[in-house]
Amino acid sequence: MMQKRFLMNVLLTVIWVALTGSFDYLNFIFGFLVSFFVMWIISRNTDDRKYFTIAFKVLGFFFFFLYEFFKATIEVAYEVMTKRFQMKPGIIKMPLDAKTDLEITLLSNLISLTPGTLVLDVSEDRTVIYIHGMYVEDKVKFINSIKEGLEKPLLSIMR
Amino acid sequence: MIDIIIMIFCTLGALAVLLAAIGVLRMPDVYLRLSVTTKAATLGIGLILVGAAFHFSEVGVTSRIIAIIFFITVTAPVSAYLIVRASYFIKAKLWEHSIVDELNGMYDKKTHSLSSTDLPDEVASHRTDDEEEIEEIK
Amino acid sequence: MNLENYLLYFILPVLTLSTILVFIRFLKGPSIADRVISFDLLVIIGLGTIAVVSILADQPTFLDIAMIVALIGFLSTVAFSYYLEKRQRND
Repeated sequence: MMQKRFLMNVLLTVIWVALTGSFDYLNFIFGFLVSFFVMWIISRNTDDRKYFTIAFKVLGFFFFFLYEFFKATIEVAYEVMTKRFQMKPGIIKMPLDAKTDLEITLLSNLISLTPGTLVLDVSEDRTVIYIHGMYVEDKVKFINSIKEGLEKPLLSIMR
Repeated sequence: MIDIIIMIFCTLGALAVLLAAIGVLRMPDVYLRLSVTTKAATLGIGLILVGAAFHFSEVGVTSRIIAIIFFITVTAPVSAYLIVRASYFIKAKLWEHSIVDELNGMYDKKTHSLSSTDLPDEVASHRTDDEEEIEEIK
Repeated sequence: MNLENYLLYFILPVLTLSTILVFIRFLKGPSIADRVISFDLLVIIGLGTIAVVSILADQPTFLDIAMIVALIGFLSTVAFSYYLEKRQRND
């Protein structure tokens, strides 16, 4: 159902672009927003509204991740520039809630993209993931920050 | 106006790349170097490419740049993961001030498969196995 | 201060400086893994230089080269790390 809605949205966008006749990015984005809005109004009374809630969740998660990314970049920049290192690096074992291949791949890519953390490996039975972090004074706090900050929003989008 | 936008993007990108370069020179071990460099360099190149997209501002060029940025962001974590896995097996040392190391002794020595619980000592591959092997690799 | 001079006299020198710094690590690097990391970073800085030069020369065709360089850099990193792990296993 999700894929059907998305394809419908893209089809409406293409129709909008063909009708207006100007083939550039701004028009594409505008057409996508217009068709999204139209579909939202049309399907107000139907039960299956997952596509519309997920779209906002994805947008929110994207900006949240961008914010985290810049914050961590500034932290790491400070660490690199100062003369004495204050970091306390270490390798941490984190139990996984994500189960399928796609979820684990997305999660580990996101963890690797955040500066200061790096995924080393996923265990063969897919229950734990090994993470190298730059600030691990408190192990529980470190695991919690990844679980709350990345894994939970990701899983709420994927499932 | 558009010149100033390009200047800002290029400056931020170049500074991020410089940060990655200083990081790779200063950081004390392989894992820290990787975790600083891969992201900062990706961010820097992404910003410089966005500046280029503003300069040309054509549909064809912009979609090409989006493709390059997407490709770099997808491949950077993969290559970081591959290097880190290889560097464990050539027994790269952790920095001496590191606090914990829960990966040590989790790999099977023969099959290179990773377990989630502690292995018995005779099959586990330890980071500091025997000194001769480390010397030989260097 | 126009864009051309700014790119030529500030951005490109910064990129060159970072290339030199990474190259020092490439020569020093205690293990092979460090050298692979610095090689990867050199390729990425080369990408940035290509993008800046394409703005300077006003030639969007140069970005195709950037795409191919990115592909080759990724493939070489994969090949290097595969070789490192295989070599260790065969000993």
